[in-house]
Amino acid sequence: MLIVARLFGEFFRKLKMPLVVGELVAGVVLGPTLLGNFYPEFSDLIFTKNMNASVALSGIVNISAIMLLFVAGMELDLSLIRQQGKAAFTTSSLGLIIPLGLGFVAAYFFSGYFGNNSSDLLAFSLFMGTAMSISALPVIARTLMDLGLFRTRVGSIIIASAMLDDLIGWILFSMTMGMLKGSTSHNVFFTLLYTVSYAVLMLTVGRILINKSLPWAAKNFSWPGGFLSLSLGMAFLGAALTEYIGLHAIFGAFIVGIAFGDSVHVTEKTKDIVTQFVTNIFAPLFFVAIGFKVNFIVNFDLQITLLVISIAIIGKVSGSTLGARLGGLNNKESFAVGFGMNARGAMEIILAILALQAKLIGEELFVAIIIMAVVTSVMAGPMLQWLLKTKVMVDPEKS
Amino acid sequence: MNNETVIFEKIAIAVAFSPRCEAILAEARLLQQTFGSKLVFIHVGKKSLQEEQYLKHLLHRFGLDHTLNKIIWREGDPVETILEICQTEKIDLLVTGALEKESLLKYFLGGISRQLSRKVKCSMLMLTEPNIHPTGFKQIVVEGTDHHKTENTIAVAVAVAKSYHSGKVHIIQETDLSKLALIRSEELKENEADFRKQQLLKEEDEKLEKILRCTDCGDLKLAVERIEGKPGYVISKFARDCGADLLVVSSPDKQMNLLDRVFPHDIEYALSDLPCNLLIVHPKDLD
Repeated sequence: MLIVARLFGEFFRKLKMPLVVGELVAGVVLGPTLLGNFYPEFSDLIFTKNMNASVALSGIVNISAIMLLFVAGMELDLSLIRQQGKAAFTTSSLGLIIPLGLGFVAAYFFSGYFGNNSSDLLAFSLFMGTAMSISALPVIARTLMDLGLFRTRVGSIIIASAMLDDLIGWILFSMTMGMLKGSTSHNVFFTLLYTVSYAVLMLTVGRILINKSLPWAAKNFSWPGGFLSLSLGMAFLGAALTEYIGLHAIFGAFIVGIAFGDSVHVTEKTKDIVTQFVTNIFAPLFFVAIGFKVNFIVNFDLQITLLVISIAIIGKVSGSTLGARLGGLNNKESFAVGFGMNARGAMEIILAILALQAKLIGEELFVAIIIMAVVTSVMAGPMLQWLLKTKVMVDPEKS
Repeated sequence: MNNETVIFEKIAIAVAFSPRCEAILAEARLLQQTFGSKLVFIHVGKKSLQEEQYLKHLLHRFGLDHTLNKIIWREGDPVETILEICQTEKIDLLVTGALEKESLLKYFLGGISRQLSRKVKCSMLMLTEPNIHPTGFKQIVVEGTDHHKTENTIAVAVAVAKSYHSGKVHIIQETDLSKLALIRSEELKENEADFRKQQLLKEEDEKLEKILRCTDCGDLKLAVERIEGKPGYVISKFARDCGADLLVVSSPDKQMNLLDRVFPHDIEYALSDLPCNLLIVHPKDLD
């Protein structure tokens, strides 16, 4: 799986597409869509005949999701959000509220158009709202870098807004999953209380404790290997704690990631080691495994796919553009912010697989969301380039 | 000392009758002698005959009681009153004493000096160890981060260093590569990632070189260094480690509030634990 994922990932990277697209396609090729469909015996022999293999795969997917969210949390820079001020706040607020509202209303009042999904209409609608509002920081950052906008005002606003949207988006998703637990102790009020309490505690007391203890750890442990064990260990502890209090495990890891990433003692090199470890081993396995979950051809529904793509683009682009305009940017810059924020990438895919696992969404909607994530990620670069008429940075191999 | 370059024409001194009051006035005298400035002494509190006489005695002792200088006594909220006076009197530099570190509660609530530093619309000098026999600043650390205020900050720092005949001026380029890590997670090839990093750093270097070319540094010994890490924290740590006696940074772009202390960034790292005297440079044209 890992080797095929890498081969496909590299191929798609050469086509200027995100690596994750290649990894997803690898899953489609190895999974029930192609290999399982045309050579079922061979596919069974490798992946499903041995029950232990399926259990192991499921375990890998869960562990990978926790690690991916931990890394996503580490990438979040709370101070950057504070620095960008009004423009980031309005961009982020409207970039969140409008797609969230649009997704929620569409799912709540027209749920029949989205295929067979959970009967819990409120949780399903909340999920759709969240799925429409989340964004993909790495895709956005890479696009901005390619266009030479990384350090401009527009670039900083896009990144800060995307970070804030992600933070709120994952809080909302965690609440939605908490609501799904269904027991009386997990009503909306308690879910909200637990979510906010955990986030506030970890981002204040937890963050300070982590920051204070890291110099001690650096002195006494081998470094940065010690950081790898310590941070991932804490991520799993956070995941276990949130799972215990009825929230989703990924939320615990995400918040622990923010707390670690914010420490002044964590250098870029240290972060890089964790990121490389997770994104090169666990991320490919995770994205390939997605292809195993669903038959993408059988479950492809053009109507649902077009509907999801339309709502996602209209909501996110209009919300973020309006927010940026109110934040003081001009029309062109505002549209650039809108299309920049529109990229969904890996985060959207993680959100979708977790919702599918929780039976919150059906397979047709899952496929539609995956396609939407790919389409929005691929279109961000050309749209930004066209709007801001910037030149793509020179490739080092050609320079 | 020379006073060829008057960068602080009017300096306000916040007087608090604390045990360090004498030392702060001694430092004020040195500032006046160095920059040829007019001084405004501000005390916020009820005026008592005893305190008035004590202040007059101190000013006389340090030779600061001439007519060019001004004493303002006011009642009210210390922070708001001092800010108002700074604005009405068109102060260029506000000087206060400051503890290196405040208790956690006081830090979050905001001591007077730190509150002023977050709100004041002129440059501010926070003296952590004012001396009754001041010797000026011998080793100065200056923020050289890529920012529109940096040019002015370096110019002021260089002028201060020249006036005090400082031994060495360190210009620190703080490089926060956390945003670059976002791109690394997008699976760039190693040389591609390094190329992007080098491109970013080269841009910063060129800007700083241009600023330094335009700044008259005279015989000053300048050392430009790049440190990776969180802006504000790394320069503060560097100043402490190298035993600097003055850290010069640009004023924050927006007013800092409680959230900036909970999630610290930039100057808040220095304010949470002052490594040495701190000069916050606020560009005049921003007023």
